[in-house]
Amino acid sequence: MAYNVLIVDDSATMRALIRKVLVISGFDIGECFEGANGREALNILENNWVDIILSDLHMPEMDGAAMVQALKKHEMWRHIPVVLITTEARPEVIKPFLSLGVQDYIQKPFRPETIRQKLTGILGEGRTTDASEIESCDF
Amino acid sequence: MLAKLKAATFEVLETMFFLFPESLEEGEILRSRGPFLRSSVTIAGPQSIRIGLQVPQSLARKMAANFLGTDEDQISQEQLEDILKETSNMLAGSFLSKLEASAAFKLQTPVVQWLSAEDQKKRKLEKSLRFDVEEELLELFVEKG
Repeated sequence: MAYNVLIVDDSATMRALIRKVLVISGFDIGECFEGANGREALNILENNWVDIILSDLHMPEMDGAAMVQALKKHEMWRHIPVVLITTEARPEVIKPFLSLGVQDYIQKPFRPETIRQKLTGILGEGRTTDASEIESCDF
Repeated sequence: MLAKLKAATFEVLETMFFLFPESLEEGEILRSRGPFLRSSVTIAGPQSIRIGLQVPQSLARKMAANFLGTDEDQISQEQLEDILKETSNMLAGSFLSKLEASAAFKLQTPVVQWLSAEDQKKRKLEKSLRFDVEEELLELFVEKG
């Protein structure tokens, strides 16, 4: 089973990196959507099925906290797991987000296997991509 | 404090850029050609400080290529600046985690600027760590914010 992923980060470069790391990690990705802030993420959710959201904290227009609050109020989206990808891993900073309903967090810098472990822990293994498929991926 | 910053530097460069810095001794010279990129992030709090790095464009390009897994000549100026900003952000975040700093210390938005070779020479860094990264100079600095 392939999972649809939504990456939310105001840096296009960071989104490209996360997308690349997801591919390298071998996690089975279906469609990979991208939003530059929480508002764009909600717009994407209006028209697309997403299994998991990987989000930055600090973004203009609508930040990670406001996005999570909006998700939790929505009948359809409240169960979509959100994983923060952040430079901030101090417990005092992360705890309020976990209380809001964020599933987990990944601290930057991170390795592909960390992303894979976290996503597998939340969504399940899916289908493992073999090395030849990774090499043929165009990213 | 500098030891924790040094540990954060190794962690970020090795994990995200596959680069392995070596500390330079005081007085040890490594010539680098400009222009240079300088990126920093302010840690606002009871005692605000600014943490950042300064690298020649050629090293910034190498870092960006490794970061994105692409060729150096495919890197745009925007990507170069984005990656430097992200690097200072990760350094500051990793540094705060290692210090176990309280939530009163908050990371601000990172900034980046270009420096000519002349500007770089004039600029005196308050507290700095110097590294040899593939025979290019990477300077890390801490200033009052």
